[in-house]
Amino acid sequence: MITAAILIKRNIKLFFKDKGMFFTSLVTPVILLLLYSTFLGNVYKQSFSAAIPQGFAMKEDIMDALVGGQLVSSILAVSCVTVAFCSNFVSVQDKANGTAKDLRMSPVKPWTLSVGYYFSAFISTLLICVTAALVCLLYLAAVGWYLSAADVLCILLDVLLLTVFGTSLSSVITFFLSTQGQISAVGAIISAGYGFICGAYMPVSQFSEGIRKAVMFLPGTYGTSLLRNHTLNGALTELESAGFPDGAVKAIADTVDLNLYFSGEKVGTGAMYAVLGGSAAAIAVIYVIMNIFKRKRV
Amino acid sequence: MENIIEINGLNKRFGDVQAIKDLSFRVKKGELFAFLGVNGAGKSTTINIMCGQLAADSGSVLICGDDIRRSDEVKTRLGVVFQSSVLDSALTVYDNLESRAALYGITGKNFRKRLDELSNLLKFEDLLKHAVGKLSGGQRRRIDIARALLHRPEILVLDEPTTGLDPQTRSILWSVVSKLRKDENLTVFLTTHYMEEAADADYVVIIDAGEISAEGTPLELKNKYTGDFITIYGISEEEAKKLGCKYDTIRDAYRVSVPDTAAATALILKYPEIFNDYEITKGKMDEVFLSVTGKKLTGGDEI
Repeated sequence: MITAAILIKRNIKLFFKDKGMFFTSLVTPVILLLLYSTFLGNVYKQSFSAAIPQGFAMKEDIMDALVGGQLVSSILAVSCVTVAFCSNFVSVQDKANGTAKDLRMSPVKPWTLSVGYYFSAFISTLLICVTAALVCLLYLAAVGWYLSAADVLCILLDVLLLTVFGTSLSSVITFFLSTQGQISAVGAIISAGYGFICGAYMPVSQFSEGIRKAVMFLPGTYGTSLLRNHTLNGALTELESAGFPDGAVKAIADTVDLNLYFSGEKVGTGAMYAVLGGSAAAIAVIYVIMNIFKRKRV
Repeated sequence: MENIIEINGLNKRFGDVQAIKDLSFRVKKGELFAFLGVNGAGKSTTINIMCGQLAADSGSVLICGDDIRRSDEVKTRLGVVFQSSVLDSALTVYDNLESRAALYGITGKNFRKRLDELSNLLKFEDLLKHAVGKLSGGQRRRIDIARALLHRPEILVLDEPTTGLDPQTRSILWSVVSKLRKDENLTVFLTTHYMEEAADADYVVIIDAGEISAEGTPLELKNKYTGDFITIYGISEEEAKKLGCKYDTIRDAYRVSVPDTAAATALILKYPEIFNDYEITKGKMDEVFLSVTGKKLTGGDEI
C-alpha cells in the first residue's frame, strides 16, 4: 500500500514537472477558449437569439450565461478525457525511456505499478479539472450566474465521473503504447477527435442522423450532456420564469444537447449517469483484466 | 566457494538471429566476474534473462539456487546498474531513490537510514535536492549505483558502468565496489569495454556470437592466449637482435616477445650480460580478447 502511494506520488510529480506533458494537456481547453472567444461565442449567441420567439426579449446576462455555460461544459467535458490521456503518458514514457525496465527489476507486483499509474493519472486529472471547473464557475459568476448549489455539486460530480471515465479509457489505450511517437499520435488524435465525438465542439443535435446515432453509443456524449444540463439548467429555468414558452425553451435545450434522444426516446439524467458511471467502471474492469492476463515475461 | 549464479544451456533466438547458443557458466559468491564481448555478442540478452526481463527459449538461470522463473525473491538479490541511466531526470535524487526503495518495501525511517549510508558511501549528500537531469555524467552514475544498492543486493550487475566516465569517477566507482566486496562479500557481474577493468576480475568469460569463446582467470587466459614480454632497458639493437625473438623498439628500451615465462627465464639464463635492467610482463587482456575473438574492444566500439 505504501509502495503504491509512493509510486502514485512519483508519477504525479513526474507529470507536473514535465512541462511539455503538462502544457500539452492544457492545449484543448486553450483551443476551446480561443475558438469561443474568437467566433463560436458569437455564433451561439446568434443561434440563441434566433430561438427567441417574437415579442420576447432575453436579458443580456441570461444570454451570456447560456453561451458561457456551453463554453464551460465543453471545456470540462473534453479536458477530463484529454488531461487523463496526458497524465497517463507517464506510463508510456517509462516504457519508452527504459524506466519501466528498472521498475520491473524489483519484486514489486505488476499490478502495483498499474495501480500507481491509474491513480496518479486520476489524481492529476482531477486536480487540473477541478481547478478548471472552479475557474469556469468564476467565469460564469462574472458573465451571469444562474446556478443553484445543487447545479454546482452536480458539475463537480460530472467532472469526477468524467475523470474516472477518462482515466479508465486512457489506461486501457496507453497499455498498448510504448514509444514517444505513439504518444504523440494518440495525443493528437484524442485532442482533435474526442471533442467532436463527445459533442463538445459541436452539439450532437447538429450532426447528421447517422453520426448522431453512432455517437449516442459513446459514453462521453452523455458526460457532455450532463455538464450541459448542470451549467445551463439555471439559465433556462430563468427563461421559463421570464415567461418564455415551454416550446422555445425545449428547442434551446434540444439544440445544445441538454436533451439527448436514443432511438427516439429522451434519455434522463439518471440514465446518463448510469451510462457514464457504468462504462467507466466497465473499462476499469477491462484494465484490471488486461493487467491480470498481461503476458509474463519469464 | 559456492555458486551464486548458475546458467545452464541458455538459448535465445530473435527471429533468424540466435542471440545466445547453449550458454552455460557459473559465478562464485563474492567474486568479480567479467563478462566480455563485442556489441551484439549476447551480453545484454544474457543479463536481461538473468534479471527476469526476457524469457529464454530454453535453459535455466539459478540465482542463489532459485530458478528466476519461479521466484520473485530472486529480484531482491540482484542490483543492476544499466548502461544508460534509467532514473527520472525531472525528479530530484531524493525522489528517485525514495520511489525505487519503495519498490523493495523500504520506506520511512528505513529508507532514510539506507539513504544516509549510501550518500556517505558514494558521496552525494549535497546532491539530494538536485534534479537527476541536471547532474554530470559522473554524479548521475553514483546515483545509479546507489539505486542498485538500495536493497542490499547480493549480486551487483554492472553493465558497462564506466563507459564515458572521467578517470576520477571511475576510480570512485571501483573503490566503492571494492569496499562492498570486502565488507559485504558482494558478488559483481561486470560487462565492460575497458580491458584493464576485466584484468582485475577473478574470472572472465568471453562470448562471441552468443557462444562462450574463452573462459578462465585473467592469468589463465593470458597464459593461454598471449605470450610474455620482456622490456629490456639500456641495450643496443644488436643486442636485442641477438636474442633471436620478435621485438618492438620503444622510446628507451626494447620489448621482446616470448611465448611464456619459462622462455623468458631461458633467455635470461642464456644471455645474462644483456639482462641488467629489465622487466617481464604478461600479455594484456586486450590481446587475449583480440586473440580469442579476432576483434578489438576500444572503449565502447569494437573494431
